[in-house]
Amino acid sequence: MSPSPKRYDAIVIGGGHNGLVNAAYLARAGKKVLVLERRERVGGAAVTEEVFPGFRFSVYSYVVSLLRPEIIRDLDLPRHGLHILPLESTVTPTLDGGYLAQWGDHDQNRRELYRHSPRDADAYDDFGQLMYHMAYAVRPILSMVPPDPTSLSPGDLRGMLRLGRHMRSLGAERFHALHKLMTMSSADFLDEWFETDVLKATKSASGIIGTFLGPRSPGTAYVLLHHYMGELDGVFRAWGFAKGGTGSVSESIASSARAFGTDIRTDAPVARVLVKGGRATGVVLESGEEILAPIVVSGLDPRRTFLQMLEPKELPDDLVETIRRYKFRGSSGKVNLALSELPNFTCMPGTGAHLRGAMSISPSLDYVEHAFDDAKYGDFSRRPYMDIVIPSMIDPSMAPPGKHVMSIFVQYAPYDLTGGWTDAKREAFGDTVIDTLAQFAPNIKAAILHRQVITPADIERVTGLSEGNIFAGELALHQLFFFRPAPAWSRYRTPVHGYFQCGAGTHPGGGIMGASGRLAALEILGKSGGAKS
Amino acid sequence: MTHDVVVIGGGLNGLVVATYLAKAGRRVLVLERRTSVGGSTVTEEIAPGFRCDTCLHDAGWLSPRIARDLELERHGLVVLRPERGVLAPLSATDALYLDPDPVSAADAIRHFSPADAKRWPDFTALVAELSGFLEALYTAPPPRVDADTLAEHVTMLGLGRRLRKLGKARMVQLLRTLPMSVAELLDDWFESDAVKGAVGAQGITRICQGPRSGGTAFVLLHHAVGRRAGAFRAPLVVRGGTGALATAIAASARAAGVEVRTQADVARVRLEHGRVTGVVLRTGEEIASRQVASTTDARTTFLELCDPSQLDPALVRAVRTIRFRGAWAKMNLALSGLPRFAGSRTEGDDAHVRGTISIAPSLDYLERAYDATKYGQVSAQPYLEVRVPSLDDPSLAPAGKHVMSVHMQYAPYALRDGTWDGAARTSLGNGIMRTLEQYAPGIGGLVQAQQVLSPLDLEQTFALPEGNAYQGELTLDQILFMRPVAGWSRYRTPVPGLYLCGTGSHPGGAIAGGAGALAAPELLKEARD
Repeated sequence: MSPSPKRYDAIVIGGGHNGLVNAAYLARAGKKVLVLERRERVGGAAVTEEVFPGFRFSVYSYVVSLLRPEIIRDLDLPRHGLHILPLESTVTPTLDGGYLAQWGDHDQNRRELYRHSPRDADAYDDFGQLMYHMAYAVRPILSMVPPDPTSLSPGDLRGMLRLGRHMRSLGAERFHALHKLMTMSSADFLDEWFETDVLKATKSASGIIGTFLGPRSPGTAYVLLHHYMGELDGVFRAWGFAKGGTGSVSESIASSARAFGTDIRTDAPVARVLVKGGRATGVVLESGEEILAPIVVSGLDPRRTFLQMLEPKELPDDLVETIRRYKFRGSSGKVNLALSELPNFTCMPGTGAHLRGAMSISPSLDYVEHAFDDAKYGDFSRRPYMDIVIPSMIDPSMAPPGKHVMSIFVQYAPYDLTGGWTDAKREAFGDTVIDTLAQFAPNIKAAILHRQVITPADIERVTGLSEGNIFAGELALHQLFFFRPAPAWSRYRTPVHGYFQCGAGTHPGGGIMGASGRLAALEILGKSGGAKS
Repeated sequence: MTHDVVVIGGGLNGLVVATYLAKAGRRVLVLERRTSVGGSTVTEEIAPGFRCDTCLHDAGWLSPRIARDLELERHGLVVLRPERGVLAPLSATDALYLDPDPVSAADAIRHFSPADAKRWPDFTALVAELSGFLEALYTAPPPRVDADTLAEHVTMLGLGRRLRKLGKARMVQLLRTLPMSVAELLDDWFESDAVKGAVGAQGITRICQGPRSGGTAFVLLHHAVGRRAGAFRAPLVVRGGTGALATAIAASARAAGVEVRTQADVARVRLEHGRVTGVVLRTGEEIASRQVASTTDARTTFLELCDPSQLDPALVRAVRTIRFRGAWAKMNLALSGLPRFAGSRTEGDDAHVRGTISIAPSLDYLERAYDATKYGQVSAQPYLEVRVPSLDDPSLAPAGKHVMSVHMQYAPYALRDGTWDGAARTSLGNGIMRTLEQYAPGIGGLVQAQQVLSPLDLEQTFALPEGNAYQGELTLDQILFMRPVAGWSRYRTPVPGLYLCGTGSHPGGAIAGGAGALAAPELLKEARD
């Protein structure tokens, strides 16, 4: 790529999946767009890397479910290589050598639950239906540019009215259920439905992902719902792998963006946004190179978008203060293993269908809550919650023949570890994860060829996500919708004219969803149907 | 003889609803199970000559409207200096004293952190402003989600206007603050552990959550309702103990023509053709009435006083899932002298111990105390909220002696190992004394008599289900239109003629008589129909 001073209509800072989606939508509308990525590859936290020769990993983000169907359609992603393979089961080993399995097949699932509790088997369908309705209730909000509740502008009032009408259309009963989901802990919410501890533990675990909260803390029920909104090809609650790893999701979006005429430059770290008279005029790279464009969009998290890319003087004091208070508190790590053989779980020996799904290390609610207790006081969990998948079981291209890759999502690993993260602490953390896993799959230690341990500090250093928070900011009630990332600045704009935000730190945030990138593009193009300023 | 209304329970809400109804011309009978009225707001003799607030040592906020309408001063209520500070001992020798005057408190905070001292006045102003909005919510029936009448819309509009009057920035701050944890809120403002511990304890008041649990910022604001900026954990201090508030309301009730019967334990609500016709006492005595207002909790009312098989299963399910989860205990002490806490600087200087003494040296301390209860254990180092009411009202103890009321968290209602038997109670008492001894060395030698109430004792003595102080945890998912259960927050029930108006109803506990005052118009409305 030549460094000749080229003018663009828009520059997108950061080639994560939201930045790429944003660029693709802008380019699709006829804009000349440039994406600038700091690393040598696009994808941000959605990347596939050959970490060890022959072994390819979805290094950070590892499952796909929240990617918006309209994006898949609009950007024609299957034609650009997106191929999702379903992930159909979750098996949770218990401490007494038993297990609880949740299968994709309804009848099989019911039989399994019945074994644990006939009452829970009966409640399960009703619960599923409620969550389905709740996810549907929230879904339109995910595709909505948040109105500013304090604004009297016609656009915002229209937005509030739309929101009010939507809420009313739910009816009292569902509104009450939604209120409960927004304010309860996942443990309490599940207690109202189920009695089987291991079932509640496994379900509640999706309520803590990416937060610095335990399953008994109010606010986690919403995160549970957030994860229920996974939607693949219109099918609710379907989780899957991208063939070729999550990096291929990013690659397919990049390919679509290029087809619309987008230029993408890697190894191009942006130092800051150029501002003249309160208006963005372009960016300057760390190399000193200046690139001009009347529209600059940041796919970075709010801290970097506001406090690193701009001079504080460009921003009102209270906004600087709000962004400083925006909570990241990364709480999860990752361990990627190259294996010579498949793990052999004591509770379900052999290489059955369960290895094509997820294995969840969440044997009881107390286990998960104890894991959080350690983190509260600055330690990583001595016995962590883990979500384990073996992508090579579904996509053999991820590992050499006969060998396997295993991805272990681990919580809690606090960013603010007492004494800080060192190499020794990283290895100790890795050992803890392996020791915990070995309790349930004793052959694992001998099967490990290589291991990669990733702490929140590593996530921050490599992907740029502040404090290693995987959602670019905690998914807490006070950081959602019109609070994300800051009140009055939740609509993808910033106080600097022409400078926009499109990362997961904006509504609706979190997961490989792409909704922030899309909504920001619609807002920039004036097509969001929401407020104009 | 038939009554218009029978009120079950002679607590503050029962007495308040009865008085309002009698003033409107209804013939009202209040039935109280115990020998004296007051419910959980009672002052009783714990040893000869020593009178103590045996259950709650804080009646919460008494709205001026109720005090005025019921002419409580004329009926004997004497409010002593209402606002006292918080003494937060940090060890046997060190303490922080938060004066209710923000400027004086800032002076004390300066020794711990000059930055915190600078922010203190703004923080207290913010808390007062945000809780002021809650106050507006608490003096009206809960907003309805499915508002369909013009009147409802007007109410909602009024609330909206009041919210808007807070100003754009404050309004956003309120919405942002409610779901936060009190730890997050305080971390945003302060750096000193001492300040955060002393203030943060208000955020866990009588709930089974720790300071890092979401929604505890709301609890902080709830207990700030009606208080001046800077007055944290300031109880309503009335002469004769908090029970004197109940006595004054009862006097007002009787003056209005209410009949109050004690030792009258209601066994069930009598129905005929699906409509309330009165109540039946444990003794078998039947009392006829057109309406029944139950101030006991929703679970007891629907599942024990009524026949649940006659109720909508969805309602029964909702009632069963009300969270009570009491996690506090109470210790009442008769003392031969005044104990010396760090911070009560010199002999004879008791100004700092006249308010609330708070054993909560840091948020971590509170959080660790909470950790135990998650696994069904009693906190080894509990949070203690201590009051010495005999300092402001010497009539509560013999000359030169004192009574001390100790609220303790956390003691879970459901113990993992064992039950709340005598041994568990003794061990609970010993644990509290051990902690007190660390901050007030020598206190053990002053104890002449002690009373320990476990969560089970609180349930059995004061009819508080699972020992929860407020007939259902006061958390974001159980307030407003969700209290006591979604769809039935307006004091009416699906049983015609039966009403609910205890602390289990909006606006909940620590708002003295609030539910009773709001329920009265609803009962009158039906009678008019």
